[in-house]
Amino acid sequence: MENFLSGKLSLEELPQHWYTVGGTAFMLITGILIVILLKKTKRWGWLWNEWLTSTDPKKIGTMYMIFAALMFFRGMVDVGMMWVQQSFAADSRGYLTSDHFQQISTAHGDIMVFFVTMGFFFGLMNWIIPLQIGARDLAFPFMNSLGFWLTAAGGLLINFFFMIGGEFANTGWIAAAPFSELEFNPGVGVDYLIWSLQLSGLGSLLAGINFTVTIIKKRAPGMTLMKMSLFVWTSLCGMILVISVFPVLTATTFLLWLDRVFSMHFFTTGGGGNQMMYWNLIWMWGHPEVYILVLPAFGMFSEIVATFSQKKIFGYVSMVCAAVSITLLSYLVWLHHFFTMGAGADVNSFFGIVTMFIAIPSGVQVFNWILTMYKGRVIFASPMYWVIGFICIFMIGGMAGVLQASPPADFQVHNSLFLIAHFHSMIIGVALFGIFAGVNYWFPKIFGFKLNERLDKQAFWFWLVGFFVSFIPLYLLGFMGAPRRLDHYALSTGWQPLFITSTIGFFLIVCGIITQVWQIFVSIKEKKQHLDRTGDPWNGRTLEWATSSPPPFYNFAVIPTITSHEEFWSMKKRGISIQKHYEDILLPKNTGMGIYISGIAFVVGFALVWQVFWLALLGLFGVVACIIILSLDENREYVLPKAKVAEIERMR
Amino acid sequence: MRKVKFVIGVLAIVCAVLSIFFILSSEKALVTHPKGIIADGELSVIITNYLLMSIIILPTFIFLLVIAWKYNAKNAKAEYDPEHTGGVRGELILWIIPSVVIVIMTFVTWKATHELDPYRPLKSEIDPLRIQVVALDWKWLFIYPEQGIATLNFVQFPAGVPIHFSLAADGSPMNSFWMPQLSGQIYAMTGMVTPLHIMAYETGEYTGRAAELNGRGYAGMTFLAKSTSQSDFEDWIIAVKQSPLRLTDQVYNNLVAPSEDNPIMLYSHVEENLFNKIVMKYSGLN
Repeated sequence: MENFLSGKLSLEELPQHWYTVGGTAFMLITGILIVILLKKTKRWGWLWNEWLTSTDPKKIGTMYMIFAALMFFRGMVDVGMMWVQQSFAADSRGYLTSDHFQQISTAHGDIMVFFVTMGFFFGLMNWIIPLQIGARDLAFPFMNSLGFWLTAAGGLLINFFFMIGGEFANTGWIAAAPFSELEFNPGVGVDYLIWSLQLSGLGSLLAGINFTVTIIKKRAPGMTLMKMSLFVWTSLCGMILVISVFPVLTATTFLLWLDRVFSMHFFTTGGGGNQMMYWNLIWMWGHPEVYILVLPAFGMFSEIVATFSQKKIFGYVSMVCAAVSITLLSYLVWLHHFFTMGAGADVNSFFGIVTMFIAIPSGVQVFNWILTMYKGRVIFASPMYWVIGFICIFMIGGMAGVLQASPPADFQVHNSLFLIAHFHSMIIGVALFGIFAGVNYWFPKIFGFKLNERLDKQAFWFWLVGFFVSFIPLYLLGFMGAPRRLDHYALSTGWQPLFITSTIGFFLIVCGIITQVWQIFVSIKEKKQHLDRTGDPWNGRTLEWATSSPPPFYNFAVIPTITSHEEFWSMKKRGISIQKHYEDILLPKNTGMGIYISGIAFVVGFALVWQVFWLALLGLFGVVACIIILSLDENREYVLPKAKVAEIERMR
Repeated sequence: MRKVKFVIGVLAIVCAVLSIFFILSSEKALVTHPKGIIADGELSVIITNYLLMSIIILPTFIFLLVIAWKYNAKNAKAEYDPEHTGGVRGELILWIIPSVVIVIMTFVTWKATHELDPYRPLKSEIDPLRIQVVALDWKWLFIYPEQGIATLNFVQFPAGVPIHFSLAADGSPMNSFWMPQLSGQIYAMTGMVTPLHIMAYETGEYTGRAAELNGRGYAGMTFLAKSTSQSDFEDWIIAVKQSPLRLTDQVYNNLVAPSEDNPIMLYSHVEENLFNKIVMKYSGLN
């Protein structure tokens, strides 16, 4: 606490290195370009009223997607820098310092997990969950907006060190204590990590509560739990995990911050601190987090396989049981992240064996996906490509995972690049492939036109080949004794050719990403040729296809009564369409409060990073004041009269 | 065109599989070329587990490809039954198949975890050699309490003799001690002692390194492990005893200060009880 007014801030913290100057310039120029564009097209009001303050889950979902895509770009640049370094750093120090390399790898991990994967999933859930359960909005529309904006504030804060501070944590993405303690990390890098995770973690928690309540309370009449679609089921499981473990992350990183700022001794090496406690706590959150990232993808794959096989999902009940048992087991396996800490054979065996049990429901899911295609008519539209690619990678990555569940095997591959290859198989092969499949599958529903399938298939091949070229070498490097996060190594290890191969794979993946960006441009340009007028472009099965594409802002003019978990399919079979007895619809008003509160929260986070306590306190009062003002406003909803609904429906 | 693509794809996969085997069989693949009893046991766990999993994974792979091929919508001859499900019995079978393999694997795991537990002393008629390891920022200090010598970034021991390592750290963050050809990893932590029992089969030089991120000097925190014959080991002890360097308090305190890429050092004298002092320094609320 150096200075009451400015805390640790000083002019020396302005950008000095090539990467901080570059990052700052990039952010400022992008910002200025956006402002100029908005000014020229006079779209300020449109942006504010139609998008930024919106409480419509479809629009918040789209904003989540755009935000996640931007963060994806940042994470991709990070990984490119790391791989180029590793390709050249045999018997040389490469072009990055050790410290800088470690900061990049930390930022890559945090950004990809918290902002990219979770951002995309929250986006897809916002798009689809209300439609699949026949709801008009989420249970708490304002909280949804606030959750998104808090995540965005966290995303801004994690990039803000470019402008002020110039360093990020070099600790690895979990900010492992005691390395993240003040003793080893005196700069503000770790504080930036802590507070950006606090903000985005709060955002995720709010979103988790919101989706859980929505799924429990806002289902259409007749939709019992066992009549929910599988994406809703797996999302529910994921969101229950979010609610139960994100508070652990918040508390753990907060204790770490207390250690750093108020010289407490929760996780320090000396003074009675317990470093092993940090590892236990962080992985009690961290392992369920892995399943938060993959469970929703499992649900999407189930929907996509059934739709494109034109057949009922094989073993709906099994799939639900599998998702629920994965959820429960994921709480009981955190110790497998540190078998090497020396817990003893009994404890290690217990956690190893529970981990292996997760393979059972995972295996059942794979069988069910394959058997869904059996006796089906499988249409290989582009989402199906991602599904097949996913199953292949999932089996390879899953084998590596079960292997590591065995403590003696884990001793050899722990902390090695084998482990990196394993979890990238899961995050890329399951989560990202699921997201790409889901976006291509549901895009016509949200925007009313299909994405270009030919380009999507090309992107798929780039991704699949790029993935194997990148990560098979990493599996091998693990067996060659290469640990993770290594910024340079001896030429005699023989690792260099494999690192170079990996980097080539990275560039293939970049080609895939460029193809995907190009795909979106081309699809928007060719919009008219791919319009979806029926609302059911894929011959779908679940409720979201029962409404038009894009759906009206109230989703369903009349909420149907549900009889099956593939409601739309049975409607089509029975030849029933939704009745047209319109009623008044109650809808949430837009509110800018989410942005205001998140803006102030960002200032609080920034102030706490730099220990400007008066500003943080002021900010907290601001947040409380905003919430009081909001709660005094009793007109947060409006009624859309049935005459108006009928008019909108006629126009369609 | 389709056929050409298919042939190229198959060729690429064959080449990839061949090069995987080629790389794993080269001497550079340390994990697959164990030279000690523990690393050997760990490799056989890896192989056993992979074989057991392949019982399910390989058929599933083939099954996936065949079904995706056969029930392709273009194949109008294939049977189409949109309401087909397996029924309760079919679903139960799907749960039982992986369960059987996993249950077998749990027994393998339980047994192997206890056999290869780093805490477990190795069965041998020869008394184990005790070596204490201290992880410092960013180097490894080895203390031979019985011989009264110490070494930096270098450890020598006789082949065929069980070695009992005791690991700790002095104020540095969590460290992972890894000699891929002799044993898997175990953490070295400040204020705590973790044991590791190993035995090298044959003489040779093996690389060891830190495998847990711990700061600037992480990549350079490597050491050389040399296993020799018993007589060579004894000669080496005598030679080290002649070394002019002594690990006094002052020298040790200099070592505790962070430094990178330290060369190998041999110390002819080490303060008695140094290791215990290092560990005890952090116990209690001081």
